Amino acid sequence: MSQPQPLIQLQLVAEPLLNVQEMQFWLDKAVTWGQADSSDTQKDTCLHLSRLRDFLQQLLTHINNMSSTTETMTRLPLLGQFLGRLCWNPYVTADATGRRLLFQCLWGLYSEHPGNAVERKANQWIRKVLCQLATEEDDAAAQALMKQMGVPPKEYHLKVLRKMVELLQKNIGKSCRSLGDINQRCPCDNILATSVACVPLVTYPEAAPLIGALLQQPVTCVRAALSEDFLDALSSAYSSQCLCLEEQAVVSLWCHNLSSLEKAVLSLLECVLTKTGSTPQKLKQQLAQSLLPKASAQHWTIFLIVNDIFRSILKQAEGNESVKCVIQTFTNCFLQERALLQHQTSVSLKAFFPQSPQSLLVPLLTRPSEMPQDVWRHHLNWLSGSLQRLTEEEEDGDGDGDSSSSTRGHHKLFESWFLLVQCAHWVQVAVQLLVTSGPEDRGPLLWLLTFYHHPTNRGHHRALQLVRAKDAWHHLHSLFLVSARPLPVSLPQSLVPLLSPQPQQPSLSPYVTLKLLVNFAVFSHQSLSGSTEILQAVVERSGLVDEAACVLRSLELRLTEGSCLSSDANRVHLRIKALQDTLTHMHAASRYPTENQTHTHTHTHTHTHTHTRTTQQ
Amino acid sequence: MEAVLKNLASTVELLAVAAQSGVVEQWDKQTLSRAFHWARYCEHLFSRFHNNPAIRTTMEKQLQLTNQSLRAVFPGYTEVSFSDISRCQHLLLVGLLKNPELPISIMKILFDTTKQSEYQDVTGFCSHIIQCKSACKVLSPLTDLSAIGADAEVQGVMLMERLSALLSQGTAACHTEHIVNSVLQGCEGAAGQFCLVITAALLTTKNSAAQTASLDFLLDWLQKEHNVLQHMCSALPTPLIKDLAKEHLKFRHAYYDVLKKWASDMDYSINEGEWAQTITNRTVSFQRLTEHFLTLFEVCPSLREDVEKELNALKVSDGDFDVRGLSVWGDLLSALNK
Repeated sequence: MSQPQPLIQLQLVAEPLLNVQEMQFWLDKAVTWGQADSSDTQKDTCLHLSRLRDFLQQLLTHINNMSSTTETMTRLPLLGQFLGRLCWNPYVTADATGRRLLFQCLWGLYSEHPGNAVERKANQWIRKVLCQLATEEDDAAAQALMKQMGVPPKEYHLKVLRKMVELLQKNIGKSCRSLGDINQRCPCDNILATSVACVPLVTYPEAAPLIGALLQQPVTCVRAALSEDFLDALSSAYSSQCLCLEEQAVVSLWCHNLSSLEKAVLSLLECVLTKTGSTPQKLKQQLAQSLLPKASAQHWTIFLIVNDIFRSILKQAEGNESVKCVIQTFTNCFLQERALLQHQTSVSLKAFFPQSPQSLLVPLLTRPSEMPQDVWRHHLNWLSGSLQRLTEEEEDGDGDGDSSSSTRGHHKLFESWFLLVQCAHWVQVAVQLLVTSGPEDRGPLLWLLTFYHHPTNRGHHRALQLVRAKDAWHHLHSLFLVSARPLPVSLPQSLVPLLSPQPQQPSLSPYVTLKLLVNFAVFSHQSLSGSTEILQAVVERSGLVDEAACVLRSLELRLTEGSCLSSDANRVHLRIKALQDTLTHMHAASRYPTENQTHTHTHTHTHTHTHTRTTQQ
Repeated sequence: MEAVLKNLASTVELLAVAAQSGVVEQWDKQTLSRAFHWARYCEHLFSRFHNNPAIRTTMEKQLQLTNQSLRAVFPGYTEVSFSDISRCQHLLLVGLLKNPELPISIMKILFDTTKQSEYQDVTGFCSHIIQCKSACKVLSPLTDLSAIGADAEVQGVMLMERLSALLSQGTAACHTEHIVNSVLQGCEGAAGQFCLVITAALLTTKNSAAQTASLDFLLDWLQKEHNVLQHMCSALPTPLIKDLAKEHLKFRHAYYDVLKKWASDMDYSINEGEWAQTITNRTVSFQRLTEHFLTLFEVCPSLREDVEKELNALKVSDGDFDVRGLSVWGDLLSALNK
């Protein structure tokens, strides 16, 4: 007696999925669409397309939950009629998802082993409808011609479709004189109607040229608007990656539709930020492939939106080096693309960077390679000084108690810092100069480096952080002067606290020390073996192998891009290569810590010895 | 050649089996692919040899034999002609889909809706056809009404290609005419569509000598087909008539002849106070006729003088009265010179 009950419970669960009123609504819709063929029915169908898809999905689930076709037909007697009508609606059958769901519903109604007349009839009907859809020709004249001319139907229909796309594309190309009479028929009226008709065709590759033309047509007339449903359909097709448009059409889509642009930026960030161990070159490649730098160079509006997204991500993920790295590389790619377009556009730099302090704009955007090396120091001192003044202004503003001016001050400071993040090549140069230059005043450079990592002066800790930065520098400086071999263990050990963030005190970002460390390892006069030993020891104890490797790779990229032809360049590159090898081995070893701990030490020692041998040659 | 004939015969047998035999029950994806592969092969044979009379005749003979033997095996067998071979894949598909023994799994493969059409892949064969046809239906309301539709343009091109092929072979004119006539017959009930096809064909750009020959042939044919010509002149939108008259001198002359015929068929109706054609043949009004003449002058201004001279001569032969309602030619002249 307990057995029948679970079945009933299942049925009760299945019922709320579909109500009869909804079925009636959609059937009435299908009837209306089938009767007339005006532009209004066209519009109505395209408007309802996405909801219809949802309903079909519900129907499909319902059909699949039923135990037999008889049961389905008993519960939903209107189902057959409804599906039948939809089969002859070209808007539904042209749409990839609509067609798929429709056919799946039909298959759901097919019975492998029909048990009664209803099921047998259903089977016959399904076969008939599908056969008619695929093979029947409603244009008798066309059929006669096909037979006479010896052209197969598939080829004929494809030719006609391509011709239509060609003709419609030409129509869109016609510009109108919008200053004319409002009552006069404007060719731009076509554009809205065409975009509505293209709603079911957004994922169809044959329609791509037409869709591209719609997106890229210059908006000269008030009436040349694209349908919102069209843009929404494109946007969802874009996010499910079913869109097959050419580059410029995608850029135009971004211009038209904010949400598709946002999706593009967020998916790019997701892609580049989750991949660990990717090189700066790979990052550049990924950014270029996304088309966003190119699009930003062509349209300053796109650049502004991308940067707004960057700003909010940066604010959420404070101290995240990889985000900053992405922003820097993106800006770099953008500038390169802009340089390519320079002769074509006349949009000023200010349009691209409206919120950045104008006095800092050109100084920061100019790349180090565009300036003679001996000027770098002076330039950086100036930059550091300007930024320092800004921070002092902001802090004074705080003390004023005037909330509006302090907010403005904060804003100005944030924008200056953001610009610095975009142009972080100068920070990299600052670190290099800190390591390579003589005993001149290191203050401004250290300040810049600290500011980059700690823009806000929360709790007025900046002074303290600066002191720590100076300490780190001194520490490293003396460490790399030591020539005793092997290195006393205590020396690298003392650096480790500076490389691990301490939550209690206002700690210095470990990246400050790490960047100094890597630069010292590369540029100091310490022997390669010595530098390697120091680097290895420090990095091993602090556990920052990946981060150190990343800093090293960025350094290498900057140097190769800058193409400094100094005689020193060769030596520097060899050192970088050797240090990279060391870090790679360390990384590999760290993956299997339990297995060959003893082996690691001997391995690296032999490695160091081979290096010693090669350098002595 | 023997191998080719054998393959042709086998494929035709395959078509019969696919359409009428229960053997299809055992077909799987591989069998299906192979069947379509052979159908494609036959289509290829057609395109290679349909302009080669000798080989074509040999193949037709083979088909006759194959048809004979198949007729003996399958009751109600429909014969396959050589021109049917051009649509071999379609015939195979129709046969399969109408065969009640076709397993549903095979149908599912044909109607599969996942992703792009791979060249020569049987999966989704029907789904792609349906998508293409539906897209055409979706886009066709958008095409400009004053222009030739996309389908007429494609059909026009097809017609021109066929004519070029026939004429380059040195086919007898009567046979070529027969082809065009059968197209006309096939378009029975869709005279408007046929006119558009002819218009499209006549407006294809002259790229080669072969095309010029085909255009000439078509124009000569048109001049003999008074009904079609008349229908074209009365039904086509003015911009298209202008284009035709601009491009082809023969058409211009034919057009003028049609206009004269229409005028000569008109009688003055006292009740209506206007010239009109006989009740059984109301194609065009006097007003419209005047507009047609003006169109002709627009296309070829130099023609105006000659036409007016001729109209005047005809008016004179009618008695040369300046009273309205006595001579259609006189009234025409005054309407044109208003």
